[in-house]
Amino acid sequence: MSAEELPTAPHTIHDWFHGYEEEGKLRGFTCPNCGLRTATWGLACQRCGKADLIEVELSGRGTVVAFTILAVPGDDFLNDAPYAYVVVELDGGGRITGWMPTVREASQMAIGDRVHYVPSYKPGVQFAKDSDARSAP
Amino acid sequence: MTMRETWVVGAASNRFGKMKESAREAATRVSMEAIRSSGLEPKDIGHTFVSNAFGISEHQAHVGPLINGGLGIPEVPSATIESACSSSSAALHEAFVHVAGGFEDAVLVVGAEKLSHLDTLAATSYFAIGADYPFESKNGATFPGLYATLATAYEHTFPTRPEMLGAIAIKAHANGARNPHAHFQKEITMETYLNSPMIASPLRLYDCCPFSDGAAAVVVASKEFMKKPAQEPLVIRASVRTGSITEMQDRPDLLGLPSTRAAAAKAFRQAHMEPKDIDFLEVHDCFTIAEILALEDMGFFPRGTAGKESLEGVTTRDGKLPVNPSGGLKAKGHPVSASGASQVVEVFEQVNGLAKSRAVPKNDVALTHNVGATGGSCSVHIFSRR
Repeated sequence: MSAEELPTAPHTIHDWFHGYEEEGKLRGFTCPNCGLRTATWGLACQRCGKADLIEVELSGRGTVVAFTILAVPGDDFLNDAPYAYVVVELDGGGRITGWMPTVREASQMAIGDRVHYVPSYKPGVQFAKDSDARSAP
Repeated sequence: MTMRETWVVGAASNRFGKMKESAREAATRVSMEAIRSSGLEPKDIGHTFVSNAFGISEHQAHVGPLINGGLGIPEVPSATIESACSSSSAALHEAFVHVAGGFEDAVLVVGAEKLSHLDTLAATSYFAIGADYPFESKNGATFPGLYATLATAYEHTFPTRPEMLGAIAIKAHANGARNPHAHFQKEITMETYLNSPMIASPLRLYDCCPFSDGAAAVVVASKEFMKKPAQEPLVIRASVRTGSITEMQDRPDLLGLPSTRAAAAKAFRQAHMEPKDIDFLEVHDCFTIAEILALEDMGFFPRGTAGKESLEGVTTRDGKLPVNPSGGLKAKGHPVSASGASQVVEVFEQVNGLAKSRAVPKNDVALTHNVGATGGSCSVHIFSRR
């Protein structure tokens, strides 16, 4: 295989951070072979192995498929606990993880809740509930 | 391919908890003890596989040659094997490959970790780098948080009472109370469990393994090399490693760990066994929910039922299927890189009559299951008597 034939990623991990931190956009990949959509960086699809990933912009809106309320945070989030850590199924496909500073108790959240991405100066991909009036999409 | 029959012939562990000495010193001590317990001498060891995932927190990488030096065998090659919480079971697999494949006659496996010099925040942050840093940890994930997320998904599908998780914690502490190697040697009640604070909902403090220091070592050798084993050896019937998608966001199914399912299936094929052939297990219970997922993923209980079985006492020391008689990661402690080897130390002690008041009723065949982080890696080993 010549160097020209080596697969390349449409964007770098640095571009991913820049996307949600500076451009208000969730960069992702899709696999034309199996249809997987993901934010996770790679040269080939984690599901089918084909190395044809192309760039997509992931939707900023979706549905919670799993979550927890973290009382003991990681060091970037020291002053934000408790907060929700969520796995979100995005509209149009693909899942992403993020955190929600406005959800502080398990009773405030249920699997199936609708959420949206909120660009923020704080670290991490931040989401808020659609029903939370202060940050309506 | 023909493989040589390969045994675990010696094993040792220190007491998990808080060590005054460095991981290097503790690793060297338990290595010497494990080698002596096998009836061999350090000069009989052809290779060492060493795990010390967070050695960097002690400003030490490449610790293997230092351990070999301390054992008086500096000329013996050493490699460091890192696979997060499954590091030393990955090292055991490397040892198995070397001995079964005929490259070495006797190999030392040692895992050691020291984290007690760090505060909770720093230790939590070290643990979190075993996840996908840009796509999970950077978004607020912690290690308990990731397992708690799995717990929420599980409870959404299979209604789970807090008492089911509590039963696992209580059983772990009851066994740990009888294990001189255990970090926690104290029983707890359901009331204590239910009243403990939430760390990451639905996981309470007593659902979580502690940050522990500790060291554990095992010696692996071929049957033909061990003319007269000093103790009853464990025959390695299966030694399997698997991998799977690390990120929760890319796993289609959050109701278990794909790498555990694959590892157990392959191990049972390799050993020509089924779950019903296993007398007792040491499983990766870094959190109580992880024990439920492991028992279901490996086929010991149908999906959605391991919590109920645990509550009914099936997995206690004298139950139908004793699980984690050592106290598990939950009560024995979880010095990350020592945990995999430590599970094998428990099997060795059970088989050699050293488990005393925590002895399980039947110990002819045992399985150990060790997970790297949230399942990006998994090891399953099956052992039997000769």
